[in-house]
Amino acid sequence: MTAKKRILLIDDDKDFLFATKLILEKGGYEVFLAEDGKTGVEMWKSVAPDLAIIDMMMETWGEGFSVLSKIRAMDTGKDTPLFMLSAVDLQGPYNSFEPPPEFPKVNAVLQKPVKAEDLLGYIARELGGKKMS
Amino acid sequence: MMNTPTPLVLIIDDEPSIRDGCRQALEKSGYAVLDAEEGDEGIKIARDAKPDIALIDLKMPGISGMEIIEILSRDVPDMVLVMITGYATIVSAVEAIQKGTYDYLPKPFSPDQLRAVVRRAVEHRNLKIETRRLREEKERMEKSFITFVSHEMRSPLVVIRQYIEALKAVAGDRLDRDMTEIIERCGARIQSLETLVEHWLDISRIGEGSFAWKKEPLNLLQLIGRSTEEMAPICEEKGILLKTDLPDQLPEIFGDQEGLLRVFTNIIGNATKYTPENGRITLTASSDDYYVTVRISDTGTGIPADKLPFIFEPFFRVKGKEERQRGSGLGLTFCKRIMELHGGEIAVASTEGQGSTFLLKFLTHMRSEQTMDHSATPIRQF
Ligand SMILES: Nc1ncnc2c1ncn2[C@@H]1O[C@H](COP(=O)(O)OP(=O)(O)O)[C@@H](O)[C@H]1O
Repeated sequence: MTAKKRILLIDDDKDFLFATKLILEKGGYEVFLAEDGKTGVEMWKSVAPDLAIIDMMMETWGEGFSVLSKIRAMDTGKDTPLFMLSAVDLQGPYNSFEPPPEFPKVNAVLQKPVKAEDLLGYIARELGGKKMS
Repeated sequence: MMNTPTPLVLIIDDEPSIRDGCRQALEKSGYAVLDAEEGDEGIKIARDAKPDIALIDLKMPGISGMEIIEILSRDVPDMVLVMITGYATIVSAVEAIQKGTYDYLPKPFSPDQLRAVVRRAVEHRNLKIETRRLREEKERMEKSFITFVSHEMRSPLVVIRQYIEALKAVAGDRLDRDMTEIIERCGARIQSLETLVEHWLDISRIGEGSFAWKKEPLNLLQLIGRSTEEMAPICEEKGILLKTDLPDQLPEIFGDQEGLLRVFTNIIGNATKYTPENGRITLTASSDDYYVTVRISDTGTGIPADKLPFIFEPFFRVKGKEERQRGSGLGLTFCKRIMELHGGEIAVASTEGQGSTFLLKFLTHMRSEQTMDHSATPIRQF
């Protein structure tokens, strides 16, 4: 019997959090929610999740980026899979966000809204293979 | 800047009697007056004091009235210029007007004539400032509306689609066929609303000059390949044959890959909407040194001749028995704006009952270097 894997979801839209939480729970994960970047970083420390999904477009554009950098700078966050959420807001549906080269490592960029099967698929790719010790 | 309650008038004239006469007449009517006896001094005063009105003698020693007018209409654009002239020939009047004067006073003139001209000039100035303020206000509103729409309208749509995904994930196996269909249909309608908002935003951005687009050398064959690949599944689903008849090579063009891809998929997408089963959609291309022309033909319902001139207009849709074919009426408007941005053209020919052909004309790379609108900012004339 292994414990459920934990996923931290950071997004400033309550409804988006709730909807995505339902999908993740259906996929068998334990889900933690943070509504802003600061809470997100604190929860990262207390929860120590196996994966985090961070919205790039919170309140100010820089917030998602700063959360990402802070997590990556921590020992516990060096190698954990991190996903970024991007609304296609920047310009038209085809110009989605691509992290520039100097960005901290991002394991996947997901487009909002994200299809349930895609989301669970990406997560399984990152977490599926890992054996719990 | 607010209008001062007392309009300030500058008189540039080399004749002391005219300067004094004007000053007296105008001060008596409540104007503040500055004067200069020659051009350079007048220009300096105008730049510093920014008067509302300047009366300029056309014929003076030194710098000419015409030159003063040219300099002042450039440097102090809100100031209204009136020329004073003893020999109002048509030619000099036309030249002065072209250079930015509003009115003229023929010498000799009476104090009443002077006051009438100056009063008109003040009204003109107020109008000019008001118009500019309104235009700026309009531009500001357009900008903030774009921001408003992109944030406040798109995020709820995104969230609703996310909820639909969640519903399918949570209850998927418990839903019967009708329920699944209801959910699918809701999803489709929301998606088309998103598309509408997207098109509308892009059209506004193009109009306002903030549409970000890359200008890179492009191979249209490759672009056509991508678009037919993208549209193949829907054609197959509808039993429509999608084929291309293309030359081995086409000259390079210059433009935005993603924007143009959307032009192609929009037009092919329209063709699938209005072409019945077993119909055909064909893409052909040809070129010369100046242009690459792509034709997208379908064997669909066609467009009535009296409707053809309007189909690139925003929200225009041909009403008919195909009413169930829902769309925004913005697709072709978007295509046209993108083509215009590229210095290209879009046109349509159609026969009702037989089909339609959309023609896209692109400047070749060499040509577009010279003529394309690189700024994407509309030229405003005012
Ligand atoms: N290939 C076509 N065949 C017949 N009618 C067409 C075709 N393409 C466009 N139209 C007509 O032009 C109208 C405007 O098209 P468009 O701007 O793309 O808006 P829509 O979203 O309604 O398709 C459509 O409503 C349709 O009536």
